[in-house]
Amino acid sequence: MNWTSQDKVIVQGITEPQAAFYAQQMKAGSTDIVAGVSPGNGGTEVGDIPVFDLVEQVLTQVDKIDISLIFVDSYQVLDAAREAIAAGIRHIIIFTPEVPPLDTIEIIKYAKASDTLILGPGSHGIVIPQQVCLSKLQSQAYQSGTIGTITTSQYLSYEVATELNQADLGHSIVVSLGNDRIIGSNLPQWLEILDRDPDTKAIVSIGQRITETEEIVTYCQERDYDKPIIVYLAGLKVPQEQIFRDAQTIITNHLSASIPAVNRDRQTIDRLKKAGIKIAKKPSDIPRLIQKAWSK
Amino acid sequence: MELLEYQAKELFRMVGIPILPSQTIKDSRKIKELQIPYPVVLKSQVRSGGRGKAGGVRFVANTIDAIAAARTIFNLSILGEYPEVILAEAHYNTEREFFLAIVLDYNLQCPVLLGSAFGGMNVDSLLTNLQQVVVDEEFSLFYARRLAAHMGLSGKLICSVSEIIAKMYRLFRDKDLDLIEINPLGVNNKGELMALDGKITLNDDALARQPVLEALSFTKQQKQLNDRILTGKILERVRWRWLDWHSRAGKVAIICNSFDSALLTWDLFKQNRVTPAGAVLLETDFSEPDILESYRDNLLDVLTQLETVKGLKTILINVWDTQAIGREIVETVSSYCQQGTSSILASKEESVSTKVRANEPDLVNKQKSSDSTTIARPRFVLRLLADEHPEALPMSETIYLFDGLEAAVQKAIAIVKSN
Repeated sequence: MNWTSQDKVIVQGITEPQAAFYAQQMKAGSTDIVAGVSPGNGGTEVGDIPVFDLVEQVLTQVDKIDISLIFVDSYQVLDAAREAIAAGIRHIIIFTPEVPPLDTIEIIKYAKASDTLILGPGSHGIVIPQQVCLSKLQSQAYQSGTIGTITTSQYLSYEVATELNQADLGHSIVVSLGNDRIIGSNLPQWLEILDRDPDTKAIVSIGQRITETEEIVTYCQERDYDKPIIVYLAGLKVPQEQIFRDAQTIITNHLSASIPAVNRDRQTIDRLKKAGIKIAKKPSDIPRLIQKAWSK
Repeated sequence: MELLEYQAKELFRMVGIPILPSQTIKDSRKIKELQIPYPVVLKSQVRSGGRGKAGGVRFVANTIDAIAAARTIFNLSILGEYPEVILAEAHYNTEREFFLAIVLDYNLQCPVLLGSAFGGMNVDSLLTNLQQVVVDEEFSLFYARRLAAHMGLSGKLICSVSEIIAKMYRLFRDKDLDLIEINPLGVNNKGELMALDGKITLNDDALARQPVLEALSFTKQQKQLNDRILTGKILERVRWRWLDWHSRAGKVAIICNSFDSALLTWDLFKQNRVTPAGAVLLETDFSEPDILESYRDNLLDVLTQLETVKGLKTILINVWDTQAIGREIVETVSSYCQQGTSSILASKEESVSTKVRANEPDLVNKQKSSDSTTIARPRFVLRLLADEHPEALPMSETIYLFDGLEAAVQKAIAIVKSN
């Protein structure tokens, strides 16, 4: 994986209160934030980070920008992401949540065309313990180790980290995908990235639901790696309203509420199990499942 | 947010989708001022489907019938919902009825066109004949023609129906919709098209950038919903709300500071065959230094609410937050246990307990029963992070502290099962 503390990082929307706060937190974690971007605030400083009106103006001061962290208002995210892509930035983390889905779809199109990796919207970023902190997460919560964690929840990743720490299993990386219904890079993509990562010996996926079941099952059947994959899903016992994702189901449910909705959670879990994925019922199951898989 | 039929039709009119002459009525007496010639259809404006079968749609031939029918409709609840508005519309003779819709498909990550040559109230034949076309690139009219052809249409209808789909797509794109639907699209004996009923769902995340929607004269209910969606985006420094899951027989209440922690905590109880009474979300802003006082007020507000939940034996507070918040929780809970809310709140009487809670579950009794003081107070199980435990902890019979969540849940279960 190519995330290092030498990466040159900019923050788009640096004047947003959250951005200013977390930029300082990340700098303290030795992230090299070279500039902030905030239209209309060029020439000022936030903390000791110089602010520019445009991303391309930053490029007059530094040779290249590796990563952009986007904190702008949700309606400006599409524009900010396009600006970053146009400036040649190929790693973008969108921290802003609740971006209108038609905008996110647009961002994904531009990202595909330019081979840009997008994390988010609504991501909490990436942490490689003691090395890289591109994140709103409290990086000190994670010990260094060999477990790669992919999460859609900040809180649940802390609970899992506590269990891993207690079992002396640290993290090779923590990746927060974001909670919006449409996101840039998804779980199957990150499974593949972490499979290729030599520092990762086991993969833990944490979240509320898996939406790319078929893709993951296909991937597991074809993969050349034997790293254990553990999935932990929270809220399976909670009487929640179902969220429908595909057009036919949305319309069917909309036309006739009397057609009973099938709860697919059970089905999803069975499919994943058959594909060789271990299912944790609660965070404390995870270290045990990893060690069991390793000892085989 | 879902729009009502008359609002959807207002948007249809803006892009040139044909609709019948119509008028909205908010008071059955106003029906005398109707400008549309009889016979007229009166339609209850509610969100739920199936209003036709429920009696929410009535044909009337004159003013006297109309007044009576309007009264009936205003007093008819459809799946628990009373209309604030009735739409009076001219009558249209159809030969065929189509179904058309555009929906955002989250799996495919693009809009999908849907159509059925058998529209109307018969959902079964509608769905059996449902066709779909995925709009995976920039929209162009041929996508709509493709759908019309899949639907089995021929001749001039291919062009006229796809023109309507294109107009629907324009609304979908420009107004950030999750869903737009015409059902039925009526076809008369001359082959002319008319959108007889319609539904539109706006995307909540895009509501604030669609000011044109204010021109649609929202109902009271919609205004409340709109306000809730929009203010929900502004991060208040501290706020709390009930989550939608609850059980009347539950003996433990959960207070959490994130939705995910409520999910996990609830799961842990259910895995041990205990169903909690309910869960409260108490959230803070990320980095404010001086939120403690308002945090305390909110927590006391929650505790006051929980007093009215009958049969509660224990309250589990699972909060993963800063040291200062952890300390505030311990202090607030222990002074609450010693004195109750009344004395702590005495000076803040107005600021707290008079607030109206929008999503209060029915397990909260609106009036405190007079014997509530004699009922044993629930015991508290606090799950706070290890380094947040204050030095001089006022441990007591009523408060238990844990730093592991599973241990805390086990304690709460033991309390629930004890006598």
